[in-house]
Amino acid sequence: MQVSATANDIKKSDVTTTVSVGNRPAPQPKAPATECPCTIVRSEGFSLYYGSKAGVKDITMDIYPCSVTAIIGPSGCGKSTFLRSINRMNDLIPHVRTEGVLAVDGHDIYDKRTNLVSLRQQVGMVFQKPNPFPKSIFDNIAYGPRLQGVRRKGELQHIVEQSLKAAAIWDEVKDDLKKSALALSGGQQQRLCIARALATRPRVLLMDEPCSALDPIATGRIEDLIGQLQSTYTIVIVTHNMQQAARVSERAAFFCLGELIEYDKTTKIFSNPSKKQTEDYVTGRFG
Amino acid sequence: MKLATRGMLDKGFTVLTGLSVVALTLVLIAVLGPMVYRGSSAVLFTGTVEFRKMQRDLFDRSNPKRLSAEIAETEAARQEVYRMVDAFKKGIDIDAMSDRAREINREFGRELRHKDTPTEQYTELRSRSRDIRDKLSGVFSSQDIEAIEAGVEEVLVHADDPNFQGTCAEEFFELARNFRDAARQVDLSHYHDYLVALEEVELVLFGSDERNGLLGPRPEEPKRALAQVCYGATRMDQARQLLDRLLVAEQWVPQEGSESLVKVRTPRVEQFKGTALEPLFPYVESNLSKLLNPRFTCYWQFFVDDNVNSHYFGGVGPEILGTILITVLGMVFVVPLGVIAAAYLVECSSDGWIIRLIRMCINTLAGVPSIVFGLFGLAFFVLFLFPLLGFEQKPCILAASMTLAILTLPVMIRASEEAIRTVPMSYKEGSLALGASRFRTFVTVILPAALPGILTGVILSLSRVAGETAPILFTGAVSLGPVPKSVFDPTRTLSYGSYDMAVGDRLAMMVPHNQYGMVVTLILLILILNAMAIVLRSRVFKKLKGH
Repeated sequence: MQVSATANDIKKSDVTTTVSVGNRPAPQPKAPATECPCTIVRSEGFSLYYGSKAGVKDITMDIYPCSVTAIIGPSGCGKSTFLRSINRMNDLIPHVRTEGVLAVDGHDIYDKRTNLVSLRQQVGMVFQKPNPFPKSIFDNIAYGPRLQGVRRKGELQHIVEQSLKAAAIWDEVKDDLKKSALALSGGQQQRLCIARALATRPRVLLMDEPCSALDPIATGRIEDLIGQLQSTYTIVIVTHNMQQAARVSERAAFFCLGELIEYDKTTKIFSNPSKKQTEDYVTGRFG
Repeated sequence: MKLATRGMLDKGFTVLTGLSVVALTLVLIAVLGPMVYRGSSAVLFTGTVEFRKMQRDLFDRSNPKRLSAEIAETEAARQEVYRMVDAFKKGIDIDAMSDRAREINREFGRELRHKDTPTEQYTELRSRSRDIRDKLSGVFSSQDIEAIEAGVEEVLVHADDPNFQGTCAEEFFELARNFRDAARQVDLSHYHDYLVALEEVELVLFGSDERNGLLGPRPEEPKRALAQVCYGATRMDQARQLLDRLLVAEQWVPQEGSESLVKVRTPRVEQFKGTALEPLFPYVESNLSKLLNPRFTCYWQFFVDDNVNSHYFGGVGPEILGTILITVLGMVFVVPLGVIAAAYLVECSSDGWIIRLIRMCINTLAGVPSIVFGLFGLAFFVLFLFPLLGFEQKPCILAASMTLAILTLPVMIRASEEAIRTVPMSYKEGSLALGASRFRTFVTVILPAALPGILTGVILSLSRVAGETAPILFTGAVSLGPVPKSVFDPTRTLSYGSYDMAVGDRLAMMVPHNQYGMVVTLILLILILNAMAIVLRSRVFKKLKGH
């Protein structure tokens, strides 16, 4: 991905606001992978309206590849809305309207020419509640690759195995891939959903409160998994759990009432936030 | 509210629901019980030797050795019946006897000529035979026993005449003796009543060209045209009814001073008191099983046999086949159509006026009487669409199943819609998030998850389709006809067959077991089809739930 391409693809006329809240690091040619300067998801003045009501307003932030970005904030602040905007899942809701630019890999995804299928294959998603399909474990994982046109049994088996291993669930299910995915426990189901999202080899993985329906042990395993995955994938995670955000993320964005209040390194957000609102929230005085 | 009151209310509610379930079950048993009981007699009954004869002749199904032994046994018992009837008949049938006397006279003349009897003797013998004939005629028409005795004596005078001995004229004397015997036993003033009663007895025993008798036609009788009257009572229940008609005469007698008729039941034993026929009735009554050799029969072939003489004998094989064909084909049409329509209503529609109109149409369709669908099917499929597509313009299975599909479409659409709506949104989201198109998502994720609900719709439609009569009345059902070779042939069905038997001639009255049998077969068939769908549904459900 080229930085220049990103800049070229964004039409300046679409950008309504250019207030940059994030502390964007300067390009460093020899930075480690997690500190890669080039953005993969770039939001410039992005707003989304449900009818006349605004879901998120004027978000400008860059998400960096091969890192974990946490979005925190009180309920109804637009965290999930923003997250779902990144792979256009909000299209399902009638009367949705967007403004501004949201670019993945330098392409404005709200452009009319955007291929939704390839976008969603690049930007995978894991939902709040585990939602495996009522099919076998194998068929669940193979669903994405099959959509991409993979038909050969051997190749599918390879992808399934790789994905399940990547999601750290292979050892638990390898003997019974024919079993229905619904027979698994909640934590296993969520890891299966992660594996299913990984099977399409996405560049970005969106996680919408992936642990909120799970017990602490299962949550711990998912968090470990996120730690393993961040070397290969760009992960954006929405969470209510601030400890979790502190544990897993490298950068954190604090949303409130549909607006991005602060976006910075997680350590800074939790130890020395620059905004009062953020401080109140992370210290528990508000939200 | 107090806890105790709440507990009481809860208990009361439980009792109420329990009672309603029990009441429902009782109603169901009350409705279905008698029907199933009567219908089962089409398959399980006490069959007589006549039934086995019928099976041998019409369905080529018998145990020849055993059957011929049985026939010999029953025929032996029946000889006594034949003998008694004949003995009575020969002394009482006056018209026949007078005719016979005239015939003997003519024959005697021919015989004399043949023997070259001299003219004088010939003239004398001829005049004597004419004399005997006239005397016999006089005797036959007389009702006074003394005159008869005298007349018979006068005739019998000639019996010792060598000229008559060894000739056919001897029969004169036999006629005279028979008649005298009969006249001594019966009241000749009512001889006409005897004749009528005898005819009835013969009809009940041996049947006629239109009706079955208890024992079937006598062995020497020429074969009757209709197969249904070639046999006696094939079933014991039938035999008992006929026995009742044999033992007791029923007459409608005008009442004095009133126009209404009164039914009078007279035992035949009294009717024939003192005659040669009197012992017949106790004989038949006590030897019924010897005469008919009843045996418990399980006629399972009822479900595969074709019928004979429009359901007089045989089974409902082609009807079952036709019903299954029409039902399954109807399902083939209605399931995709219903699912696609439901998918459109759920997935593609916004709440515009078009959708409201479509919904209104579907709801209206559900309330249209089924006969209207029948006429629509005739007008649209048979008369309009088929010629357009180059098919033959006649009622057929295809038209019938398409008509039934339209009839049950609202049920299917509603059930499918409900099923598709209840599929969790998260499945759809999951699939879309993996990059699937909406169509792909619907086909690969939503549809399989909605399958149990869709199968519920199939179950509801199935029962409706299999049992409907009116829509197929004009579009593909026939009461009789060959087994269909393709979907372009009309077929017999159980529902239409039951209707046809009920409104048809007196058939339903004569063979009620076959009518009920057909109805119960229909119930059973629907039950089996439903059970299959339910098993399928539960398996799909289990698979979805991952157990």
